Amino acid sequence: MADTIKCPVCGRDNSADQEFCENCQSRLEPLTGPLKGADAPIKPGQAPTRKNTAELEPILPQWLRDARDSARKSAEDEAVSQIGKQSQESFSASNSDLLAGLQSHADSDDEETPDWLTSITGNSAASKKLDAESPEVRWVELGGASDFAQEEPPVESSSEKDEIADWFRDASGSLQSPGFEQPASSSHDSFIASSDTPDWLRQMAAEHETKDEVVSAKPFDAVPSSLFESSDTPDWLHQLGEDASKNSDSFFTDAEPSAGAESALPQSDAPDWLSSLGAGSQEQTPSADSADFTGPVSGEKEAAEIPSDEGLPDWMKGLQPTESEQSIQAETPAWLKDDAQPSTESADNFELPSWLSATSPTPEKPVQEEQPAQDDLPLGDIPGWLKAAAPQSSIYSDSPTEEAAPSSDADWLTSFKFPSEQTPEPQPQLPPVFSTDEPAEVPAFTGDAQSNYNMDSLFTDMPDWLSNAMEEPSSTSASAPAANSLDSLTPGELPSWVQAMRPLDAGSSQSVANDQTFESRGALAGFQGVLPLTTGFVPTSKPKVHSIRLQVSDEQRSQAAMLEQILAAETAPEPIASFSALPTSKGLRWLIAFVLIAVLGTLSFMRTQIFSLPVGVPFEVSGAMNAAQAIPEGAPVLVAFDYEPARVGEMEAAASPMFNLMQNPNLTFISTNETGAILAERFISGPLADTDQSGIQRLNLGYLPGGQMGIRAFAQDPEFTFPQLEGVTSLSQFAALIIITDSADSARAWIEQTSSSRGTIPVVVFSSAQSAPMIRPYYDSQQITGLVSGLYGSAVFEQNMSGGSGISRNYWDAYSVGMLLAMALILGGGLFNLALGLRDRAASREEK
Amino acid sequence: MTTLDLITAILSFLFTLLIFSYLIGDNPLFRIAVYIFVGVSSGYIAAIAWWQVIWPRLIQPLISAMLTGSLLEKGLIFVPLLGAVLILMKASPRLAGMSRGVMAFLVGVGAAVTIAGAVMGTLIPQVMGTINSFDLASASARNISLIEVIFNGAFVLAGTIFTLTYFHFGARAKVDGSTRRNGLIEISAWAGRIFIGITLGTVFAGVYAAALTALIERIMSLFNFLGNFL
Amino acid sequence: MRIFTAVIAIAAGILVLGGYFFPALADIQTLLLNWAIILAGMAALVGIFNLISVHTDKVRRREKGSTYSAILVIALVATFVFGLILRPDHSAMAILMSGIIIPVEAALMGLLTVSLIYAAIRLLRRRADVMSIVFLITAALLILGSATLPFGNIPLLGTLVRPWITQVLALGGARGILIGVALGTLTTGLRVLFGADRPYGGN
Repeated sequence: MADTIKCPVCGRDNSADQEFCENCQSRLEPLTGPLKGADAPIKPGQAPTRKNTAELEPILPQWLRDARDSARKSAEDEAVSQIGKQSQESFSASNSDLLAGLQSHADSDDEETPDWLTSITGNSAASKKLDAESPEVRWVELGGASDFAQEEPPVESSSEKDEIADWFRDASGSLQSPGFEQPASSSHDSFIASSDTPDWLRQMAAEHETKDEVVSAKPFDAVPSSLFESSDTPDWLHQLGEDASKNSDSFFTDAEPSAGAESALPQSDAPDWLSSLGAGSQEQTPSADSADFTGPVSGEKEAAEIPSDEGLPDWMKGLQPTESEQSIQAETPAWLKDDAQPSTESADNFELPSWLSATSPTPEKPVQEEQPAQDDLPLGDIPGWLKAAAPQSSIYSDSPTEEAAPSSDADWLTSFKFPSEQTPEPQPQLPPVFSTDEPAEVPAFTGDAQSNYNMDSLFTDMPDWLSNAMEEPSSTSASAPAANSLDSLTPGELPSWVQAMRPLDAGSSQSVANDQTFESRGALAGFQGVLPLTTGFVPTSKPKVHSIRLQVSDEQRSQAAMLEQILAAETAPEPIASFSALPTSKGLRWLIAFVLIAVLGTLSFMRTQIFSLPVGVPFEVSGAMNAAQAIPEGAPVLVAFDYEPARVGEMEAAASPMFNLMQNPNLTFISTNETGAILAERFISGPLADTDQSGIQRLNLGYLPGGQMGIRAFAQDPEFTFPQLEGVTSLSQFAALIIITDSADSARAWIEQTSSSRGTIPVVVFSSAQSAPMIRPYYDSQQITGLVSGLYGSAVFEQNMSGGSGISRNYWDAYSVGMLLAMALILGGGLFNLALGLRDRAASREEK
Repeated sequence: MTTLDLITAILSFLFTLLIFSYLIGDNPLFRIAVYIFVGVSSGYIAAIAWWQVIWPRLIQPLISAMLTGSLLEKGLIFVPLLGAVLILMKASPRLAGMSRGVMAFLVGVGAAVTIAGAVMGTLIPQVMGTINSFDLASASARNISLIEVIFNGAFVLAGTIFTLTYFHFGARAKVDGSTRRNGLIEISAWAGRIFIGITLGTVFAGVYAAALTALIERIMSLFNFLGNFL
Repeated sequence: MRIFTAVIAIAAGILVLGGYFFPALADIQTLLLNWAIILAGMAALVGIFNLISVHTDKVRRREKGSTYSAILVIALVATFVFGLILRPDHSAMAILMSGIIIPVEAALMGLLTVSLIYAAIRLLRRRADVMSIVFLITAALLILGSATLPFGNIPLLGTLVRPWITQVLALGGARGILIGVALGTLTTGLRVLFGADRPYGGN
């Protein structure tokens, strides 16, 4: 299926999922779509709503009427119109139940549409105008118009079939069955019409012979053929055919069986000319039987059987099989039932019934009426051969019955008021609806129609509405199609194609359709559900349908897709890249700890000084040394103790050489760390006390809370009130700022917050080895003068200032061994574990 | 050795051993030592806060202002007092909301100090320092050759830029929803990872050196303690 | 209340920030900073009180580890009481510092050596990407370059590689990190001053 659907109204391409055309808001798909699967059988009694909708044909859309007109005007339809004219005048104007009603209404009122056609629109009569633009409806009309000339080859009809919507094609074979019933029913209707219009029928009969060729072009020729090609063709029928061929060789020599059929029809209604149509009546049988059956073999075989009835006239012999095929009738009048048995016997025994000889001046007419009588008999009264013939004859079931009407002038047939003026509408307008289906496919007639079950149901389960249709002329037209379709369907069930045509409009249309008010007075007396009760509530115009689809551009689509992906990514659980849980190796831990403690303990216990102190002075250490040496003797020096007790050993070792280098400094200690003040006291009482300098002044300002805020406040306004800091009112008046810290953040805070207030005093940082990498950029940017980091820096400082006799020297051997040991463990263990890791990853890849 | 020194040495030796017991595994002795350490440290900090913050900066000025201070001094000292009282409310979950104003004040002041320090103390000086990495005059003062200056300066500059690029996480979303940084930025970020790896390796070595120094100091203290009795 | 707290934060921040650039605001800046110092000290006390209450509740509820919590509370209260009575600079308080705080912290720091070596050994087993390899190689080179041999520095490593790594390569990375931190700090501080971020609970 294509992704787009071309709007049948405006021709614009619409996406397949759209219901209405974006341009003209026309419905792209029929409303009957959902009904395709709704195969719920419609029991008798439900259908009458359908037949009444035909009364609303006057509101047939304008386009439909225009299409009809255009169809008439087409050159191709001219021939059909001629046929239609003949049909109007003679027999074909009165179609089967399906078409007869439509034609009659079309004749009486051009705007009227039969119920089945109005159902195609998807709406009931009340909403017909709303669906005037429905493509299917249009197709129905157009297709019908093109198929008016049913003599068109099947190829053309199939080409039109391409335009048929699937829903219509899927309407099952039952949809085809009416199409092929049409010829038979049309012939049957012709009898009905002829019964009421003897004049035109007579006229048509006079013209019959001259128009054989034209009539032969009618679809009648092809349709019955398939019926009788069936292997289920009763023997008696074949026999009759053979007899007929024996009686009249010219019978099957007629290349146009349908012409014979048509000729037979006027015969039944025109007693005066009926005698002259003896051959034509014989031709009726093959024409009614089949066109294919027109093959010389079968045709001759059947024709040969017909003459076997010696008791019958030739024309009668030819008619007998036809009448027997037309045996099935929904209901048969009593008088026909009474005559059924004799007629049946006549069919069996080839004896002319008494009533036939008595009532009819022309023997053909009673014979033709005889078979319908058989059909109308109760099933139990029907002979076996007739039961077997019933399915086939059902195709023409109406023909004999209605054919008998003019001859017998029975009351029940007179109720079929199909005045000739009511059927001026050419017949070809409606048959094409069904003739669009390929004629070769006639499953309805070959399968269902031949089943005994269907036959039984036709006799026993005939719906009430169908019987009512026989009684009510107004409703006949509506019920006739359903009745014909029922011939090939399960009894009591409305064919699916009819269901599919039921209006879906659940709003006003359903209310109207369900309105079964029976009109008891006035011009509409006897009609049911003609006028809706809620007329005022029925919308008179189709509400504008707004497409609910967003009109978005490609860019908007891509952005929407991106947003969806983002949202999906937000909600999608993102797998956490977790490493495989390596089991903790206590042994490795213990091994490392044992090695370290053993080696370091041994070295510490032995107090060895084997390893030399580092040689070479980095720039930052030399800067610190230069700054220390530049501090004047006794100058105030601000010392910030900002390290944790955990690094007291490292920091004391790192900073002590500096204080040995300064000349009797005036030290002011301050700390932004809570424990810094006590650590300063420890430093004073420890490494500083060990220095050789005796003139060191010291002042511990204690804890400076607030971190950076405290440093900024202290740098902005020292508020020194201590005697030893006399004359020092700002930070820039210190000789140097020494920061002893183990934290890069602390060093950064001191550097940042004192940058504007310390002036150009040297800043020397003694840092832990761990924070040195993050402090070194400040040395590189010359914000600090010197940097001594960790034991390595202090060792260098100590090596170059005091000759290497301080704390660093005591630690250095253990430190160097510890570093070498760590290097060996990391490299050795790292490479080993790298190999293990590669092996594990390779193994995991292999597992995957 | 005085009694206090002896007690200090004993405590030091004892707690050092308790902590080293963790090398065997987690044990109650280690936990007892840690909990005692946390309690003592907290109590000590609380005492520090009282004696070196609250008392000299709040109580003493308040008493002084109440006794001899002017009205302005009294008013100015009442503000931090009120703030101190309000911030104490933070200890109570029901009254914690009353301290929001004080916390807002602290956050505002802290933000301002941080901004000024970062801009004037780090951002501008470090940018200038990067530029000055190619300062030939400064290099000549250090007796550094021109080639060495350019060579080292280039590495410093590249390391700085690449590392900064690594922290640039801006990316443009593509049509397919994936986000990926610009190709040049991606390459720079990859190089930045190298420099960051080197820097962190340096930090790791420094941490190990600091820890090793602490271990050596503790081991030596143990031997020193034992040496006093041997 | 939200507006009130935001106004306080923004106003205090602007005044303090102005003190860096405008001398007229220096006194106000100092005043506000002193207030902030007091309040920061008080906040430290509040934190300690909170620690006491938490562990006291654990002891009261007899939760798991309540014994350790009791020990903690006893040590804390005793130290605080002695500190209030004796003052922190008393020799008795020095005993606590030199006998407990410093040994415990230093010992814990010493234990870190074992953990660091252990982690370095296992690193390449867990992930062997470029950054890990660079990280480990750099650490190994610097550790080796920081050591000396009995006859002097380790050739090339101690005299050339180590200084070049620390003073050039590591300097570039550290500077980038510092600038990045400064930019982040600047952004965060400005958001606070603009009221976009209200970490004080005024959102």
